[in-house]
Amino acid sequence: MDFLQILALLFKGTGYTLMVTVACSATGMVVGLAIAMLYRLDWRPLQPLLRTFTYVFRGLPVLVLLFIVFFGLPNLGLRVPPLVSMMLSLGVIAGAYLGEVFRGAFDSVDRNEVLAAEAMGMSRLQVLLHIELPQMLRFAVPGMINEFTTVLKYSPFAYTVGIPDVMKEAMALSAATLRGVEIYLGVGLLYFAIYKILVSAVWALEKRYRVPGLTGH
Amino acid sequence: MSSMLAFLQRMADYWPQVLSGLGNTVLLAVIVTITGLLGGILVFYLSLSANRVCRRLTEAYISFFIGTPLIVLLFLMYYGLPQWGVQMSPLTVSIIGFTMNVSAYNARYLATAYRGLDPDELQAARAQGFSDGQVFRLITLPQVMRLSVPALSNQAILNVKDSSVAFLIQYTEFFAQMQDLAVRSFRFFDAYLVAGAVYLLLVSLVVLAARHLERRYVLPGTRRREP
Amino acid sequence: MPLLTVRNLIMTYEGRNALDGVDFDLAEGELKVVMGPSGSGKSTLLRCLNRLATPTSGQVIFQGEDILRPDTDVRALRQRIGFVFQHFALYRHLTALQNVTLGLRKLRGMSAAEADERARQELRRMNMVEHERKYPSQLSGGQKQRVAIARALAMDPAVLFFDEPTSALDPLMAREVVNILQQLRRDGVSMLCVTHDLYLARAVGGRLLFLDQGRILLEGNAEDLFGEHADPRVRAFFRQEREERAPTEAAP
Repeated sequence: MDFLQILALLFKGTGYTLMVTVACSATGMVVGLAIAMLYRLDWRPLQPLLRTFTYVFRGLPVLVLLFIVFFGLPNLGLRVPPLVSMMLSLGVIAGAYLGEVFRGAFDSVDRNEVLAAEAMGMSRLQVLLHIELPQMLRFAVPGMINEFTTVLKYSPFAYTVGIPDVMKEAMALSAATLRGVEIYLGVGLLYFAIYKILVSAVWALEKRYRVPGLTGH
Repeated sequence: MSSMLAFLQRMADYWPQVLSGLGNTVLLAVIVTITGLLGGILVFYLSLSANRVCRRLTEAYISFFIGTPLIVLLFLMYYGLPQWGVQMSPLTVSIIGFTMNVSAYNARYLATAYRGLDPDELQAARAQGFSDGQVFRLITLPQVMRLSVPALSNQAILNVKDSSVAFLIQYTEFFAQMQDLAVRSFRFFDAYLVAGAVYLLLVSLVVLAARHLERRYVLPGTRRREP
Repeated sequence: MPLLTVRNLIMTYEGRNALDGVDFDLAEGELKVVMGPSGSGKSTLLRCLNRLATPTSGQVIFQGEDILRPDTDVRALRQRIGFVFQHFALYRHLTALQNVTLGLRKLRGMSAAEADERARQELRRMNMVEHERKYPSQLSGGQKQRVAIARALAMDPAVLFFDEPTSALDPLMAREVVNILQQLRRDGVSMLCVTHDLYLARAVGGRLLFLDQGRILLEGNAEDLFGEHADPRVRAFFRQEREERAPTEAAP
């Protein structure tokens, strides 16, 4: 079996790797947006809760949280499927980080535009959705790319909960063929390729929706 | 919850193991933070080289180690190399793997800070007659380090959290010990929850240290940069 | 023998001749001011003289030595030339005192105590010694430039180069710096100053050189150049500068 064949076998796991990455990134987006928008709405009693949530989920290791959800919750009678476990651990943690990214990006939106919209008679929520959010998302692109690639790099943990991603394929292959070095080298190259493609894809998307003069491009 | 109390009592029985695991976690995190920082400075220095080949290679190194999962590197060295006859302890593999990974990130942070330097200051240093090495040591490095304190201390926090990955290559650090306790007691939830709480505590200590560092070393008159 | 001799200095950059055959001398204790429109090559000239830029051809003799030789010890050369920048270029992570002592300690090998004493001497001369513990961000433009001059003087250079020393300063602070230059001239310091500040050129005395498109069109005293001159380019430059600066230029 030559190197290319190894790569081909590893490739089978790519679909699952991408699925995990996309699912966790999407969870992160939802959680992050929720956090950032709740912050923005400035409800005093909520602030300390949001801060605590962010602090806790930025302080927990992904692996530990994953084990709490997948191996721990059954103790409380809750059996969580593997993919959902990934989303509830890696996804929520990504959400905590994205929440901070979005918070900063919201601050970059011009206060005057918000005032103008409110003066027009828009409700707080309408201003948030139609003025602040579209701008904020564009400012947040570098931070989002950073976080999505981080999610990709923690996605191999999925093997510990039984998802047959690239990592799992590699371990099976390694046990069978004893060609560990080539296999894991191949894994590294594969992840690197996915990483590069992912980054290019997001930048292409950014370009499609870019507003001239807004983000300094 | 009484179950938690029971678990904590169990944990107290295994105190020596848990403590040794904690010690191993701290050991790995501290070593790797130091070697990752020194490595990062070295890689950053190389990225400034006048030699184009050197610069390209350094950029490739940084790009590769930022774009590849740490766990793959660790598995390559721990499960792969033995098949070529190279056997290394989990700690050694972790230190090597983490250092390569972390130095790439640190070099990237330092390079970002470098772009914020005033080129006139570097030119003034050359005009005074300092050698390139002296300019790097006396002007460039002190300034990029101070500008990078938030990013570098964030990396230290990450090192503490990521040390748990070493569990997967059989390094008997804290998480490994908690896993052992979990299996013995069947109290998985309690064990992992306690583990999480301990990590939060460790991270908090680093955060406190980092805030202190930032206050002391921020350049007077500069705004704090968000990491 | 003059301190500095420049002959036929040419510097080609991106197809153009930034310097197109520059000739002049600078004697010990002399002050010369180089003026000219932007793009005339003024800054390039200074940078060629301390080898921060490399000229394409020509001859530069400094203290009897040909400094364009490939085996010239460039660092030693630079240590003999004090360079003051338009934007001060103080090391922002060091205090005023440390900015001045850095070169003394690391290039001259002085002990910390010796360096501090020498540095304080120059800072005192510049009236900046009460601010020695301050960081550049805590100083005004004029104060920063004074520290920069102290930093250059502390190394006991054979000559001081000034690159637009007042161009980043408001008129009040510019006046401070001009006074310093006048004092240094009285003290016999050799200086070469590049500027487009008319007030500076007139007030500081010394010979004026007019540089345009990489060539010295003429050399003379203030009266020669400020009067109604035959050469239209010279007239145009001085007229334009006068118009731009008119509201702020009061009679001294």
